[in-house]
Amino acid sequence: MSQNDGTGMSTLEYHVLLALAGGPLHGYAIKDAVTDESSGTLTPRAGSMYRVIARMMTSGLVVETKGDSDPHPGLARKYYGLTARGRAALAAEARRQKNAAAVAERRLGVARGRP
Amino acid sequence: MKRALLALIRTFPPAFRHQFGVEIREQIEHDYDDARANGILAAIGFSVATAADLTRTSIAERIRPTWTSQSQHREDNRMSMMSEWTRDLRHAVRSLRRTPAFAIVSIGTLGLAIGVNAGMFSVVDTVLLKPLPFAHVDRLVHIAATAPGSGFPDEFGVAAEFFVQYKEQSKLIEDISTYNSFTSTLRVGDRVERVRMSSPTNSLYSTLGAKPILGRLPVASDENNAAVISYTLWQTWFGGDPSIIGKAASIASANRTIVGVMGPEFEMPLDGTLLWMSGEVRPEGITPGRFGSSLVARVKPGVTNEALETELTALAKKLPDRFGGSANYRKLIGQHHAVVRSLRDQVVGPVAAPLWVLLGAVGVVLLIACANVANLFLVRAEGRQRDLAVRRAIGADRRQLIQSQMSEAVVVAATAGVLAMIFASITLPIFLKFAPPRVPRIALTSMDATTLAFTFAAALLSALLCGLFPAIRASRPDLNRLRDGNRGATRSRSFARDGLVVGQTALALVLLIGSALLVRSFWSLRHVNPGYSTENLFTFQIAPEGPTLRNGLDYARFDLDFLDKLAALPSVESVGLVENIPLNEGTVTTTFRTEDGSNEADAGARLNYTFTAGNYFKTMSIAQLRGRSFTRDDHLTAQPNVILSRSAANLMWPGKDPIGRRLQRQGDSVWSTVVGVVDDVMQDDFRHQPKPLVYFPLVGPTPRSWIIDSPAYVIRTRRAETIAPEVRALVRQVAPTAPMYRVFTMAGLAKDSMIQLSFTMLTLAIVSALALILGAVGLYGVLSYIVAQRTREIGVRMALGAEASKVRRMVVMQGAKVVAVGIAIGVVAALASTRALASLLYEVKAVDTVTFVGMSMSMIAIGLLASYLPARRASRVDPVESLRGD
Repeated sequence: MSQNDGTGMSTLEYHVLLALAGGPLHGYAIKDAVTDESSGTLTPRAGSMYRVIARMMTSGLVVETKGDSDPHPGLARKYYGLTARGRAALAAEARRQKNAAAVAERRLGVARGRP
Repeated sequence: MKRALLALIRTFPPAFRHQFGVEIREQIEHDYDDARANGILAAIGFSVATAADLTRTSIAERIRPTWTSQSQHREDNRMSMMSEWTRDLRHAVRSLRRTPAFAIVSIGTLGLAIGVNAGMFSVVDTVLLKPLPFAHVDRLVHIAATAPGSGFPDEFGVAAEFFVQYKEQSKLIEDISTYNSFTSTLRVGDRVERVRMSSPTNSLYSTLGAKPILGRLPVASDENNAAVISYTLWQTWFGGDPSIIGKAASIASANRTIVGVMGPEFEMPLDGTLLWMSGEVRPEGITPGRFGSSLVARVKPGVTNEALETELTALAKKLPDRFGGSANYRKLIGQHHAVVRSLRDQVVGPVAAPLWVLLGAVGVVLLIACANVANLFLVRAEGRQRDLAVRRAIGADRRQLIQSQMSEAVVVAATAGVLAMIFASITLPIFLKFAPPRVPRIALTSMDATTLAFTFAAALLSALLCGLFPAIRASRPDLNRLRDGNRGATRSRSFARDGLVVGQTALALVLLIGSALLVRSFWSLRHVNPGYSTENLFTFQIAPEGPTLRNGLDYARFDLDFLDKLAALPSVESVGLVENIPLNEGTVTTTFRTEDGSNEADAGARLNYTFTAGNYFKTMSIAQLRGRSFTRDDHLTAQPNVILSRSAANLMWPGKDPIGRRLQRQGDSVWSTVVGVVDDVMQDDFRHQPKPLVYFPLVGPTPRSWIIDSPAYVIRTRRAETIAPEVRALVRQVAPTAPMYRVFTMAGLAKDSMIQLSFTMLTLAIVSALALILGAVGLYGVLSYIVAQRTREIGVRMALGAEASKVRRMVVMQGAKVVAVGIAIGVVAALASTRALASLLYEVKAVDTVTFVGMSMSMIAIGLLASYLPARRASRVDPVESLRGD
């Protein structure tokens, strides 16, 4: 289950965008990439994952595109890639997370400093 | 499990499915296989998690679509209605979340009821509804014969000359085959067993439109020396080895070449037949009148069973002119009528009734569950009267109110449907494990797309049943409520609620009566005297072979010695043997004549016969009525002596002493002398009257007349359950290469013979218990609600001096009246419906007074109990508290 953290982008959405940042992937490869890059904390189930992809396609962050290779013979040949908006949204989200992390580190640093 | 998961993909909206369905499917298949490779637990874990995910996302996708088709921008009226639905559904989900108790109870009740329906439907669908796996199956018919007034059974198999006549002269038949099925010995290398086999004409395969998956079909030049084997035999005996084509096997005492393997779906007849020998019927070699063969034919398109019966009956009348035959035969042909029925009815007919009954029963449970849930919705709507009145007053039309009320029922039913699928996928395998093994095709049952469609139809129907009635009522809110400003005191008794309880009581009673009838039948069958005892008996077969065993005499000597050794085992009381042990193998029928009868070749009466030796009768506790049992001399010297069963003696020599009289089996040259009469035995099951039976000794008039090479040995011992290892050791000692098989206790065989009834009975008992509990809970719920509503009134009464016992009686009577009406309707419904059970019942009529009265009384008792608990609460109402309440 992907939890929404209030910015309009869920963890799963973020990781899907992140997976596509390296170039178009087909569905199963997205799943593998999300699992790897989240260090196993996210193992997207098929229903949730394609619903996230659908939502991002509808909002124009992701498009169906052509892939160049076929690493999983026998699986569907549909590839998904980032649009310019998708790339921008990912960058904005990464920035937001970085800022949030910086704030958290600062606060925790202060807290640690107390006796 | 995987199929059920994949079927869930269909619950997504079409547009979404169209875009992503294939990919979701592939991902699930891929991941399922990965998980399965890690064991069944991993696969179950994966399936549960994935099912939950698919369910959640498909519901979410319907409520808040992320993907719509390109036609999305056409905002027509339909779409706005759809969005209204969407809004209502969303609202319903929210409001159900706020009342988790209501949601859990209603979803759980419906889920359970829909689940048992889904499971039972998948069984009925597989066994009864799915077409048999043959081409143009609607044109395949089974042909038998009847001859009213002839003394033959109501329906019997035809003889070879019928096949020839029909094949050559029928204008309505396209292709036809005749076959006999029997149990005989199959020997491949060291492995020997008695298996079901069939000897069809080679036209069987063209008639059914069947092709082998390996090798070829038998042809005329194979004569009787080839065989085609079933997929099961191929897998279990040969490990699916393709090189068996062309190999020889000893089949029914002759070497035959295996030429082909049929696919797993090819089963004909559906009794576990493992192989089919090659062969043809030659018109010139036929002796007319050897009845008992089955006929299967493919008719031309558009031919009705009646038209075919008429044609075939007329064709059979010409048989004596062509094939000759005795005067008896001519007479029989004069009385003969062809019997035609669809192959499907022939195959699944015997199990159809119990299965439909069970499906009907779980359907009734669903109705009762719907009544309960509808009741909950009614109560819920009651609480919303004010809210609805406001909405009505500010201009909502009735359709909108009904729709918004219905949407909760839709959400409840849809969730229940998903729960039902999960419940059914878990319980169905357990159910199938206990199902009678002889039900055709039952092993193929699985949760498939048809079942899924059925489940969702059932859920939809439940939503309508549960929701529509309360919704309509709720859509007519009493506008006075706005003026009152309170919830109102005693309202007039709700006919709707009473009606629901009446319905539940009636339905539960029907099920209760049905299962009570089955329990009584089972009880009667358990106490039938089959002519032998089934306790403390152990039976098995072996198939010895070797250079010293050349003829019947050799085998007889072997058997008599072996019996002596068996008798010497510790705790063995007596031993005997018989060619066909009751409840496991049937006996063969042929014609016997007496010396004072006519000399025609087929004069006389039809008797069954078998072979016996040792202390068989004593061991089985079959009563010796007259004369003596066989001695060693009867087997080892050529004295043609026989022993008759009581009904065989009465049939041949009514009212006379049969001892010393002689009879002759059709085809034999010598006459056999009757030396003893024993009691009748029920050979096939405990339902059918015993057949007249002749017992022959081990050796015929000559050592080659017959060979009894694998009889069933019977041992009477207190250790019937545990003696097998010692017997096995003894077999290894006397016949090291002989396999031991068909190892049973008679008690086990007796249990198996009743499994169809006992299984139906148990299932129906569980189902009716479920119905009873749901019904009682429903009644209890309604009365509790009424008591709660009347608390104030009851408080006033008690304040004015009413006694607690009077208050109790008042509430109980209110429940009792409703239950009484339900019982009256239930009895009428049961009268109309228990006939469906007739084929399963034994020694109890479908309309059995004792059962009807007894079950109605139990229903009243349960009704009173369900009423008493709320009544007790009512009688403890504190007048002061109740009046302060408002």
